[in-house]
Amino acid sequence: MKKKISIRKIIFYVIVFGFLIIQIYPVIWLFLASVRPSIELANQPFAIPKSITFVNYMKVILDGRFSGYIVNSLLVMIESVVLIILLSSTVAYAITKFAMPFNKHIYSFFTMGIMIPIQITLIPLFIFYSNLNILNTKFSLVMPQVGFALPLSVMLFVSFYSFVPNEIIEAAIIDGCSAYRIFWKIVLPLSKNTVITVASMYSIFIWNDFIFANTFISDSAAKTVAVGLRDYVGAFGNVDWGSTYAAIGLSVLPPMLIYFFLNKWVTAGMTMGSTK
Amino acid sequence: MEILKDKKAYILFLLPGLFFYLMSVFYPIEESLRLSFMSWDGIGSKKFVGFQNYGNMLTDKIFWSSFINNIIYVVIVVLIQLLIGLLVAVLLTYLTRGTNLLRTLYYVPCLITSVAVSQLFRSIYSNEPVGLLNQFFNTVGLSNISCAWLANLKTALVAVSVPEGWRFIGLYMVIFYTALISIDTEILEAATVDGATKWNLLWKIKVPMIRPVCELALIMCLTGALRGFDIPYLLTNGGPGNVSELLSTYMYKKAFSSMQYGYGSSIAVFIIIESLLAVWMVKSIFAIRERNEGGK
Repeated sequence: MKKKISIRKIIFYVIVFGFLIIQIYPVIWLFLASVRPSIELANQPFAIPKSITFVNYMKVILDGRFSGYIVNSLLVMIESVVLIILLSSTVAYAITKFAMPFNKHIYSFFTMGIMIPIQITLIPLFIFYSNLNILNTKFSLVMPQVGFALPLSVMLFVSFYSFVPNEIIEAAIIDGCSAYRIFWKIVLPLSKNTVITVASMYSIFIWNDFIFANTFISDSAAKTVAVGLRDYVGAFGNVDWGSTYAAIGLSVLPPMLIYFFLNKWVTAGMTMGSTK
Repeated sequence: MEILKDKKAYILFLLPGLFFYLMSVFYPIEESLRLSFMSWDGIGSKKFVGFQNYGNMLTDKIFWSSFINNIIYVVIVVLIQLLIGLLVAVLLTYLTRGTNLLRTLYYVPCLITSVAVSQLFRSIYSNEPVGLLNQFFNTVGLSNISCAWLANLKTALVAVSVPEGWRFIGLYMVIFYTALISIDTEILEAATVDGATKWNLLWKIKVPMIRPVCELALIMCLTGALRGFDIPYLLTNGGPGNVSELLSTYMYKKAFSSMQYGYGSSIAVFIIIESLLAVWMVKSIFAIRERNEGGK
């Protein structure tokens, strides 16, 4: 009996590790490729590396263009995430803690957005931006990022705020606190976990966004990493694979850092979003 | 529940979020609908053409082949993500050691940006120099089926679907795993005492108990795949010819390469209707099942 169970376990481990290799090997290969000389990569891309070099990384960083993309990506990411947190927490506060007639409807109006495909916005926003002459600006990316993040983040904040006991708020009202003060001093600080969840999850999404940036940004000075990477993939052609993979390595680093430090919160957001 | 009564504060808290949401989600929907009845190249004046764009769409062969391709793409992506995701999640629940690390590692591909994923797969599929896939076929003695997968008319569509499936397996695995381990252990113990085998426990109790999560995962996965864009656009841009064209890549081409904003918008409207229909279908199938189970 005991032996049978352990054989089964071994089979399970083998299957799980088999899929793990499929999931992880390409990612490891990607990093290995970034520290190999370009010539070696061009001839035998999947052979075991013979020598390690950081020349590729130096080249990409010193080039300056890619550092510019990283700065753009960081700015878009930070601006969007700050707005997402601010707007979704205030909306959630309004619809959970204020005695107003249409709160339920407003909430369903927000959650409806989860089903809307982002493709629908590309043409109208492109036209709208080009009329206002704000294509190639950070705002052109921040606005749709925030708009499409709101449904899920409002949902996450609402589900937390509905557990914040009213006694706390009542006590604060008796002490003479205004609705604003209650939000800044009590409700928002209490929702620290939700803030970290939403922030970490959307930082990764926004850093990786391709479709908005590819549509609204054409000027090289305004490009984010997710689209700027294409310079390397296309422009150097088959010549400089080393730089291509070093650029890719740099583009993957920030989401990985966020994930490995805030792992618990990133997955909490994803799973909460799907189980609510 | 709702205790604050300050109307001015309410408006101040609600409006900014509502404004962003309306501007970036609902204004575009309204504009897309309006544009879908117009003919416009982006420069001249817009001309109202009624249902002409929709009429053109229904007789456009490329539109229909993109639609069929999109369905094949959805089937492949959904099968890869949900089946492997569920399988690994179930197996992980039986394992005791290293599950945290395994879960963390499985999730890593979800963090990689689309351009990187497509470059990775371009190297894997490549024939010159020999990529990983062809190297594999050569080693196992199937060198006759190795080819340039992305340039081959027969394999291009599958080749652009697999990376999209691959990258989000970890997400669905984590979702299923979280649901599975949050099942009340008392129920499982009671069933074991009643003599349920592990196999029965899994199929008769655990999977039915996480049905709501399965429904949501299916909806997420389905709508995600219906709007699939990044990987096909980057890997083949619909080609060779139109064999790997999806609705969203076709819409993109029509709008931003041929400057047919009206026609592009009507395809966008089609995509939104299709997504809503898919959600509705999944919901009603699960609702019917629920009712049948309840009646037993």
